[in-house]
Amino acid sequence: MQNQHHLNEQLEERAGYFPVSGAHLYAVLHEVEKPVARVLLVGPFASERHNSYLPWVRWARSLAAEKIEVLRYDYRGIGESTGDFEQMTFADWSDDVRLLAAWFADRTPHAPLVLHGLGMGAVLAGRAFDEGIGDALLLWSAPANANQALRATLMRWVGLEQIFKFGPDRKSASDYIRELEQGAPLEVDGYRWPVSLWRDSFEFMLPAALENEERAAEKYERPVRIVKLTREAAPLAKGGLVGYDDLKDFNWLYAPNREWIATVAAQMNKGVAYA
Amino acid sequence: MLESIGNRELIVLDGLGVRLRGTYHRPADRTHDSTTGDSTAGDSAASRTKLNRTGVLFVNSLSLPRAASGDSAVYWADSMAAHGYPAFRIDLPGLGDSEGEASPDLLDTISSGDLAAVGAGAAKQLVQRFGLTGMVIFGHCAGAVSALFAGAASSECAGLILLDPYFHLPQAKRPKVRQELSDWARRSRVGAFLSNSYDRARKLRLALRGSALPGNANSALLARWKQVAAAGLPILLLKAPGIKAQGSKPRAGEFDYIGYVLKLAGRKSRVSVDFVEGADHSFANHAGRKAVERLIAGWLTAQFPLTNFSPSARNVSLLRVDKKQNESRESQAAPADLGCALEGR
Repeated sequence: MQNQHHLNEQLEERAGYFPVSGAHLYAVLHEVEKPVARVLLVGPFASERHNSYLPWVRWARSLAAEKIEVLRYDYRGIGESTGDFEQMTFADWSDDVRLLAAWFADRTPHAPLVLHGLGMGAVLAGRAFDEGIGDALLLWSAPANANQALRATLMRWVGLEQIFKFGPDRKSASDYIRELEQGAPLEVDGYRWPVSLWRDSFEFMLPAALENEERAAEKYERPVRIVKLTREAAPLAKGGLVGYDDLKDFNWLYAPNREWIATVAAQMNKGVAYA
Repeated sequence: MLESIGNRELIVLDGLGVRLRGTYHRPADRTHDSTTGDSTAGDSAASRTKLNRTGVLFVNSLSLPRAASGDSAVYWADSMAAHGYPAFRIDLPGLGDSEGEASPDLLDTISSGDLAAVGAGAAKQLVQRFGLTGMVIFGHCAGAVSALFAGAASSECAGLILLDPYFHLPQAKRPKVRQELSDWARRSRVGAFLSNSYDRARKLRLALRGSALPGNANSALLARWKQVAAAGLPILLLKAPGIKAQGSKPRAGEFDYIGYVLKLAGRKSRVSVDFVEGADHSFANHAGRKAVERLIAGWLTAQFPLTNFSPSARNVSLLRVDKKQNESRESQAAPADLGCALEGR
């Protein structure tokens, strides 16, 4: 067996931790020599991370194979990152995007930085982009606000829960939402959602200009691509079965998005102004 | 980027030609072994230290990454480390952050024991690298199948912790009609009545068949079970409440695999079976993870007592774990995962 240091010299993927306030972020860098672009992946939230981990990693690898360097990471308090999930706020998760984007953008040689968010990650990436971070933005299944992302996760969980409950023991999504709104935390797929998470999610909005590509182009004058994923993209989109759908071929989704990133980056690298 | 923080260190293993990634949770009295913060440290002090104690190796549950549902594996690994046991969570080939391609027929791959060699190889590397006396292999659901196959193939395996293992060959996907029928049965009164009638019919069929194994039993897995259990390997088997099941007994009409494997293990076996009330099938809900934590801690200290573990360090670590637990409140059980291999049994 070789140790981490020795293997790092050959590895294209480098895992490590970034220190943040009171915690460490786990990240994996898909390292590329002379990259044409860099993409920061702001991924699925909480339990969605586990369900869609494989297609998310494969997406990162498919980009790296095309000379696009990728940094993916786990939200603070989730997965391999440390921190207490219940204590985290949208402000913390926004700080993490800023920190990682700054670190990634500073790498040499310089290459255009693309922010790519999925679901809750789309809201975080969109807000960072609105602050002026990144040269381009790719959104998959961007909700209007964080609450919509939480609802999608909740609906999926309720659907699973109902499989194991009969008759009167079965609760609907509305029942759980009512409990949250009455001030009771809710445990969803092993994550305890504090009431504050639910409450704050209504106000954590995707910037209005990211409602569609036309408005985004007008406001930001930087490339923006907005993709609404359908059921075929499960488990990246709602639906699907862990262990089955996460192993299927996603190249139909990867290829056009990868091509968009490569095209946008090529134009930027040539100094072509975005119109 | 740091490779080591607090009690955690990222590790890379050889997975029969592909690089496996994992996380090492240092035991509480060895948290300062590593050169924390030095990303160039590589072969850290921890990796050079001979721990001379039993470790615990977690393998993936089906296609879930090594953190497992609700990050429960992280929680348990932290807890074991706090009790003095070095814990390792790895991603098998093609899963999580590890290299390789997972088979589209992952369930079949697992059921046929194709991951045994890589699991056993990982255990061997870790035992050698950290100077361990042996390795307990931990798996949940499909991961328990992988753990059992790997344990049988490993001379380093000192024990097994199996959460909701199954001994049949699961269908990769249930027919849609059957899935919808099941859902209707759960929703409606008529459906519930028909479901109960169906269970009674299956119970009758089961009684007529006697103790014969069902046609979809995983005979290769049962053979590995007999091999390790009959040889006296310590095994902790934890069961969560099943669908329409009474306690640790199976649902009416289902074959009692646990009863069967206990008989198969024989009199010399060291198998402990515990029913985890309040847990869901993932064991990731608060009640489930706490109960599992408690049961594992008790079992590990009984089976693999530590003679070289500093109690003061342990107290400090346990305080940290307890504090986190106290901050949390009890809640209801969460559901099992639809994607689980147990569904469709």
